[in-house]
Amino acid sequence: MTETDPQVAKSPEVALAVRNLNFYYGENHALHDISIDFPARRVTAMIGPSGCGKSTLLRVFNRMYDLYPGQRATGEVIFDGRNVLERDLDLNILRARVGMVFQKPTPFPMSIYDNIAFGVRLHEKLNKADMDARVQDVLTRVALWNEVRDRLNAPASGLSGGQQQRLCIARSIATRPEVLLLDEPTSALDPISTARIEELLDELKEEFTIAIVTHNMQQAARCADQVAFFYMGRLIEVDSADRMFTNPKQQQTQDYITGRFG
Amino acid sequence: MADRSHIVKSYEQELGQLRSMMAQMGGIVENQVALALSAIADRNEEAADAAARQDPEVDQLEREVEGLAIRLLALRSPMAGDLREIVAALKITGDLERIGDYASSIARRSLRIRMPENQISLSGLRSMGRLVQENLRRSIDAITQQDSNRAMEVWHSDRAVDEYYTALFRELVTYMMEDARNIRACTELLFIAKNLERIGDHATNIAERVFYAVTGENLPSLRPRGAPASALTVAETVQEPDVR
Repeated sequence: MTETDPQVAKSPEVALAVRNLNFYYGENHALHDISIDFPARRVTAMIGPSGCGKSTLLRVFNRMYDLYPGQRATGEVIFDGRNVLERDLDLNILRARVGMVFQKPTPFPMSIYDNIAFGVRLHEKLNKADMDARVQDVLTRVALWNEVRDRLNAPASGLSGGQQQRLCIARSIATRPEVLLLDEPTSALDPISTARIEELLDELKEEFTIAIVTHNMQQAARCADQVAFFYMGRLIEVDSADRMFTNPKQQQTQDYITGRFG
Repeated sequence: MADRSHIVKSYEQELGQLRSMMAQMGGIVENQVALALSAIADRNEEAADAAARQDPEVDQLEREVEGLAIRLLALRSPMAGDLREIVAALKITGDLERIGDYASSIARRSLRIRMPENQISLSGLRSMGRLVQENLRRSIDAITQQDSNRAMEVWHSDRAVDEYYTALFRELVTYMMEDARNIRACTELLFIAKNLERIGDHATNIAERVFYAVTGENLPSLRPRGAPASALTVAETVQEPDVR
């Protein structure tokens, strides 16, 4: 809104441009006229109290809401020159390019190896050697390879919560998306697993544009380049993490992040 | 900032405690400076002793403020205005402690001055003392009222303190050149003037930190300055003897 931080300014390229977005759950008007840019290869954190619309916005980016009747969006979300909200958009391709990780780890009931190979097979025909290489590559990048290399064919359900979540991130980057959406990815994890995921985000942002919803203010401060504060379906303020947490411009932002919200 | 309460009451209480410790420390230091000035102006030995006696209490408060500020940073992860206020307190407490030291140094020194009869006017020093005292009072008001306008006033008036110091420096050097018997007293008075000037600087530091805490913006890094003490900058380089 005001001056942008050099960190954010360094990447003038915009991966996702949201313009005048409105979202409705049936009669309920959940997002009001949202306009915000997500800079490419940066982490944007979305914060705000429960029900403020931050997760809703995340779900618009890969058209998750299409799975539910009565939910609709108006406005524009420009991704690679196209409006994501267009009816004739191929959702399978969109969802491969815009990956998502949820609050609770959601491994498929299959082996560790297949958890990753499953999504890749839907979009690419790889031979065994290439697939092995892909699996090893993404597991290495989420720092899971050394922990699971000897049991790739064991069920994923045997992994710890933190490992499962890293597996889910590996799964979502295996299809080589451009954007990674994370909906409270560490809220069910212990501090060590959380730190590992945060460290991972730092590495992943060299390649992906990341949008993360978090209730943890310190996490937003630690991970994000840009922070957006939502309240009651409206975008109140967006700025560099540095400025948001030391000197927010809006009183509502100040009240929320300092813990004064009634 | 202060009119909205935290959801976590104990956090609010701790912030309140920090504010009241700062106010208390500010009050003691302000009093120390007043006593030190009275010690010089009125040759008041009791005041001099009283000023010096308050030093340990100020040091103790500084440690307590530091402890509480670090505790708040560690346990509450403060953000935005709270973060700025706590970090400012951490730094202001150091400024206040230094001011206390200068005040007791002035008080101790005042006891040692043997004033030659009627040759030296103390009016310049008194005026400078009043201005520094006024600036200190305003900067402490700025802390307790979280008032950025008050802070700005102090910031602008430090220039006048510097000018007083420069003028006083020239005046005292002149006394010394006129009569070598003045040298001893005038040297003491020069150090006192220098200490007053330093108190003024710390008051300005406090003003800058309050301004940042309240507004989130920094005042320009170059504050308005008075003329330097011209070529006669001996006092700047002379090592100050320890008077304790």
